[in-house]
Amino acid sequence: MKKIVSLCVLLLLGGCSESFLDEVPQAERSETNFYRTTEDFYNAVVGAYSTLKNAGLYGSGSGALFAMTEVVSDNTDLGVTRQALNASTYEIEDLLVTITNATVGSAWTGHYLGIARTNAILDRLPAAAVPQAGKDRFEGEARFLRALFYFNLVRLFGDVQLITKEIASPYGANTLTRSPAAEVYALIVEDLKVAKEKLPATLPAAEAGRASRGAAGALLGKVYLTLKQYDNAVAVLKEVIEAKTYDLMPGFAAVFSPTTSYVANREVIFAVPYVSGQIGQGSEMWSNWAPFNAGVALLGTGGGNGGGFNRPTADLAGAFEPGDLRKEASLLTSFKNAQGRDVNDAYVVKFRQQGALAGDSDVDFPVLRYADVLLMVAEALNETGKTAEALPFLNQVRKRAGLADKPLLSQADFRLAVEQERRVELAFENHRWFDLVRTGRYLPVLSAKGFKIKDFHRFYPIPQREIDLNKTLTQNTGY
Amino acid sequence: MKTPFVLRLFLSLCAAVLTTAGLMAQPSATVSGRVTDENAQTLPGVNVTVKGTQTGTTTSAEGVYRLNVPAGRTVLVISYVGYLTREVAIDGRSTLDVQLQPDNKTLGEVVVVGYGTQEKKDLTGAIASVGAKDIQKLPVSGVDQALQGQVAGLQISQSNGAPGANTSILIRGIGSISGGNEPLFVIDGYPVTNSGIGNPLNTINPNDIESVDVLKDASSTAIYGSRGSNGVIMITTRRGKAGKTRIEVDAYTGFQEVAKKLDLMNTREFAQFVIDGRNNGYLDNVAGANISDPNSKRPNSYQIPSVLLGDLSRLPDTDWQDAIFRQAPIRNYQIAASGGNENLRYSVSGGYFNQKGIIISSGLERYTFRVNLDARLSDKFNVGITMLPSFTRQDDVSAIGHSGGAVVQSALSLPPYLPVYNADGSYTVTNQPTEGNISYPHPVQLARELTIEGTQFRFFGNAYAEYALLKDLKFRVTLGTDLNYSKNRRFQPNTIDPTTILTNASATNSEATNWLNENTFTYKKRFGDHALDAVAGFTAQKAYANSMNAQATKFPDNLIDNINGGIVNAGGESITVHTMLSYLARVNYGYKDRYLLTATLRRDGSSRFGADNRWGTFPSASVGWRVSEEPFLKGLRFLSDLKLRASYGLTGNNAIGDYRAIGLLRDANYVIGNALTPGLARSTFTNGLLGWESMKQLDLGIDLALFNNRLSITADYYDKRNTDMLFNIQTPSATGLTSAIVNLGEVQNRGVELSLTTRNTTGAFKWTTGFNLTANRNRVLSMSTEAERIFSTAAGRANYAVTQAGDPIGSFFGRRTLGVFQTDEEATAYGKQPFAKAGDFKWADLNNDGRVDDNDREVIGSPHPNLFFGFNNNFSYRGFTLDVLTNGMVGQEIFDATFMINNAGVQNQLREVYENRYVSPAQPGNGVYGRSIRGSRNNNNVFSTSYLFDGSFWRIRNVSLSYTLPGSLTNRLKMNGIRVYATATNLFTITKYHGYDPEVSNSGDDLRAAGLDFGTYPQARTYTFGLNLTF
Repeated sequence: MKKIVSLCVLLLLGGCSESFLDEVPQAERSETNFYRTTEDFYNAVVGAYSTLKNAGLYGSGSGALFAMTEVVSDNTDLGVTRQALNASTYEIEDLLVTITNATVGSAWTGHYLGIARTNAILDRLPAAAVPQAGKDRFEGEARFLRALFYFNLVRLFGDVQLITKEIASPYGANTLTRSPAAEVYALIVEDLKVAKEKLPATLPAAEAGRASRGAAGALLGKVYLTLKQYDNAVAVLKEVIEAKTYDLMPGFAAVFSPTTSYVANREVIFAVPYVSGQIGQGSEMWSNWAPFNAGVALLGTGGGNGGGFNRPTADLAGAFEPGDLRKEASLLTSFKNAQGRDVNDAYVVKFRQQGALAGDSDVDFPVLRYADVLLMVAEALNETGKTAEALPFLNQVRKRAGLADKPLLSQADFRLAVEQERRVELAFENHRWFDLVRTGRYLPVLSAKGFKIKDFHRFYPIPQREIDLNKTLTQNTGY
Repeated sequence: MKTPFVLRLFLSLCAAVLTTAGLMAQPSATVSGRVTDENAQTLPGVNVTVKGTQTGTTTSAEGVYRLNVPAGRTVLVISYVGYLTREVAIDGRSTLDVQLQPDNKTLGEVVVVGYGTQEKKDLTGAIASVGAKDIQKLPVSGVDQALQGQVAGLQISQSNGAPGANTSILIRGIGSISGGNEPLFVIDGYPVTNSGIGNPLNTINPNDIESVDVLKDASSTAIYGSRGSNGVIMITTRRGKAGKTRIEVDAYTGFQEVAKKLDLMNTREFAQFVIDGRNNGYLDNVAGANISDPNSKRPNSYQIPSVLLGDLSRLPDTDWQDAIFRQAPIRNYQIAASGGNENLRYSVSGGYFNQKGIIISSGLERYTFRVNLDARLSDKFNVGITMLPSFTRQDDVSAIGHSGGAVVQSALSLPPYLPVYNADGSYTVTNQPTEGNISYPHPVQLARELTIEGTQFRFFGNAYAEYALLKDLKFRVTLGTDLNYSKNRRFQPNTIDPTTILTNASATNSEATNWLNENTFTYKKRFGDHALDAVAGFTAQKAYANSMNAQATKFPDNLIDNINGGIVNAGGESITVHTMLSYLARVNYGYKDRYLLTATLRRDGSSRFGADNRWGTFPSASVGWRVSEEPFLKGLRFLSDLKLRASYGLTGNNAIGDYRAIGLLRDANYVIGNALTPGLARSTFTNGLLGWESMKQLDLGIDLALFNNRLSITADYYDKRNTDMLFNIQTPSATGLTSAIVNLGEVQNRGVELSLTTRNTTGAFKWTTGFNLTANRNRVLSMSTEAERIFSTAAGRANYAVTQAGDPIGSFFGRRTLGVFQTDEEATAYGKQPFAKAGDFKWADLNNDGRVDDNDREVIGSPHPNLFFGFNNNFSYRGFTLDVLTNGMVGQEIFDATFMINNAGVQNQLREVYENRYVSPAQPGNGVYGRSIRGSRNNNNVFSTSYLFDGSFWRIRNVSLSYTLPGSLTNRLKMNGIRVYATATNLFTITKYHGYDPEVSNSGDDLRAAGLDFGTYPQARTYTFGLNLTF
């Protein structure tokens, strides 16, 4: 009997070694041993950059931002059949955005995803075993990205939740209210100032795609311009120009060339880089923005059907001055179908890459480029009354486009000239809507073209999903 | 780890055993005799013991026994595996011949429960049993398909008609929102996990199964603790019986055809439908459009294919369904042998099953083997083994989902004016559309050229050793393993769609291994009026899964159909492990065979649970009262049996996935220096408290048998409350993640089960009726404030179902259609839908804010049946047996997304829609179907009640007729039995639903998104003819 009892005891106590139940993932990385070394932080910074390819930002070339800044404006519309799947983009085109709009929701979510990634880096960097030079670089990059994310958010939504620390609990943001836009801008300016100090002035080819001092300066200039702090804008933008790191490419089309793009492209200051090869890093701008159902005739074998997502309006096509070399490099208004017949459907060719597979082209998407800087400095100088000093910057851009110099204009006319120049130079680069709102011109310009636009349209609605999860969030007026 | 309860139990058990081993024998008399079976054949190896002693013997090869009976002992106990045990009074005789009756599982039947068996009369829990006879009536690949409609409370739906496709199996409703809902499958005592092709039942030959027992209430499932809350299905395979060697050969063959074809528009109707759709879209979307505008003026979407403006009579009238469906053969062969003596018994079988699919290029092929051995090494020591190797090969087609890549939806969508083949025999080009048509893969080409193949080798083996430490105390050790190796291969040549598809291939090799060790003590003893049956033990289980995959693209040609033909551009490996330790104990106590009590306890530790919540305890208790055994009812001759049962207990659901408690990082790659650069980012929150889902269940039951068991009724009422559910809550985007997995919420399933068996006639003509009915109400009782609603998406249809407090899980959620606007004026007057025109849907403004938008959605229906039933009849006369099985469901609704998507004037559509749609005020249709329009500005395709249909049905599931040749003839052929049979499965379905089949779902096992019909693999109707020989 004793034997039985001891067998019982043996089995019961001997079997239950608690460590048998400790299983950690073998094929996935977990938080437990991350954020320690330089490699960890580099991986985390790359992870933060990758947010730029989130569907709520630039995506694989056609994320939420093109709809919210181009389709909404007089530049483009949707050239695809209306159906439930694209209802959210049609809402934006029709200026009938609802609080459950999926595109708007993805923009909010995508930007906060990036902010959380940069906050995680900035929180953990001070205590990490990373050499100081590395810490400075990572901090500069994280701050640059955080500033870019907040700058987009504050321009799209107005007051937003201001978060500067990582949130570890799922319930950690349940009562976080919106902060005044001024406080958000203060953080953006602070981040960019620090980033400008800590980032390298130039990047070797192997680091192309990362943020540089020039990128921080150009973005800061754009922030100042938006805040109407024109003197600050002029100072910081001139710093970018005088560094002589950047220049206009000789031909306009070369800026968007799949081969020279970015690495050997002195005009691009900061871009979202795309690479083909079916490795999840290609761009779909060419195939998705080609005419809906264009098919093999235009896109070639494996090139996709054509999405018609960002169709240039006749108004935009008409906005190019006669002889403007940029027009043919930016858009076309018809294509030949398989039967050789002309189909009148406009489409973007700025990001064209003949022969690319569907969704897998190489053309980078510029976020900040030198022509933008020149036009921004011209705008800022004009606003400070220095129209004569502003004129050469405008004409430098026109010259490359094969257009005659503008004569000296009144301050008011010069404003319109910059507005026009920005529209055609930077078409499809997600500037149009921000430019019109920044200058307050969205109401007169779009009303005149028949848009049923109201003052409240300057901001998109706060996604209802976020309000459902956080009752302290308020909705923007008009929605 | 401390387990004082279990330890104390054992010590007291051991002590009890010591006190009862002291009875000894006195002077004796000799009794001898012959034991025979029901056919008067002698039975060797039969146990004959003297009741109340340890004196006993076994019969010889001639079935003869001889025994010394101690004085004062008057009863012999004769027992034999597979036969009912008899107790015979000696009455002073010295010769005593005994005939045994086979245990044919009537009232005295034994039920397989977790870690043991129990006589049905002693059950206090809710357990239903299905025997081999009822399983083998149907020519199906898996036993789950055979169980459909046979057990109350067991809801089995087959939404996918592909050979070897999974079924959805629910016991007493849906209890989990984000975790698994499938019951635990226990094969010969071994709890198995899902792996490979379909569920674990798919790799088992139904002919190898002796019985299936369905454990439904907490009292019976608590012994499986954290895996018990979805119910348990116990599969017991056939084991050998001592006696003459028995060889059985079974073979059937037959064919299948699609059970229903849809009636689609012909070319003439299609042309008008398309022209209307394009014109309506053009007029609504393009300013200044005129209906007479030529294609050159119209945007692509609104162009009218010029072929439709010509002479339609010269065009073909193709029904693309005819091109993809076929008459498909099915066949099955099995040979089995069993026999042995009392010391060594065996049962072995080998089987081959081959089922071609009714869609071209699909099929399933399976080889199964079984070896069951049981050996008695001594009076005290028994060992045995179960081995079930199988090999399955599945040839799949891309049948389900959107027409972009699926055979069925393409066939339903393609214009009827296109021929299937060109005059030269090549495929008609369907993927380079012009004039506003859209691209479809050619369904025949897709089915033939897109290769999707899977193979699975499974070895299931479980060995046991059982030692009687004392007469009544046994110790049993089992060691088993379940090994699965599967391969999946896919090859997609660019011929299918040159515009978007490059030739590509992928390969996945998976390995899933699982081992289990169980150590249990059982103690069984009667003390006068007291009967005790106890089990306690300790188990350890480990599951390992590994999967490697590789993809290749950039094939220079289509000559090599595997990844080696192209450039490998992606690959990966996944590894998951989970471990479990458990303690278990159960006591069954009976007083005077009338008052029954069962108490069960299991304690489970699992690596899946968070570090701060690793162990869970699951108790249950139940009582039974055999009222009919009370002296005051003994006189009621019509009352054969009456038992009242009640149980309550706590069980869990550990199907929460591996590593869910640990915060993970995921790849977040980017391009730096013009090259792919790996990056990382957080993908999940860490949650150390994450644990099992809990379920508390109350069950009240009654078993009643009347008129000498001519009528027997079992009825149960149950109330299941699932709490701490694994919940994927939405989190504010500001946290940087949009969801987190936590335990919360409560779901209730409440219902009534009734099963009724009547033996209507019992003479030469026998007629038995079985009827079972289940009414279940599923309701979410609470959700978190952070996630008040969970929306579900399936097959690209976003957010059409909702899970929220007060409604059933996965309720349909959408707009309420009030009707179809008959005139433009009516639409304008309504004023809430700015873009609506005549022929568009009119929706209710539910929140009365003056406009109809996404805030005007509510719960509009449920995909779950209010009740489901089986109604089965068996007739036999002489050698003839006729079985008619029917089953049905009532009250569930179906979202027909095929019908929805095909209404734009692009795809083909049901003829019924053509005939009843809105065309003009003069031709308003039936007032239910809207107009044909491409690019509806009113968004007619928004999910609304217009796309919900009643899915109730009553199906004649199986009719089988068999004839057993008379024994005289069989004997002359020196055989034991010859039976021929013919079956027709899925013969006829009564339903109002216009799709292929009312049992439909595109979401697989995700029950939050059930009831969606969007291009499904239709069900087959099967006719087979078979022959069964026993030697």
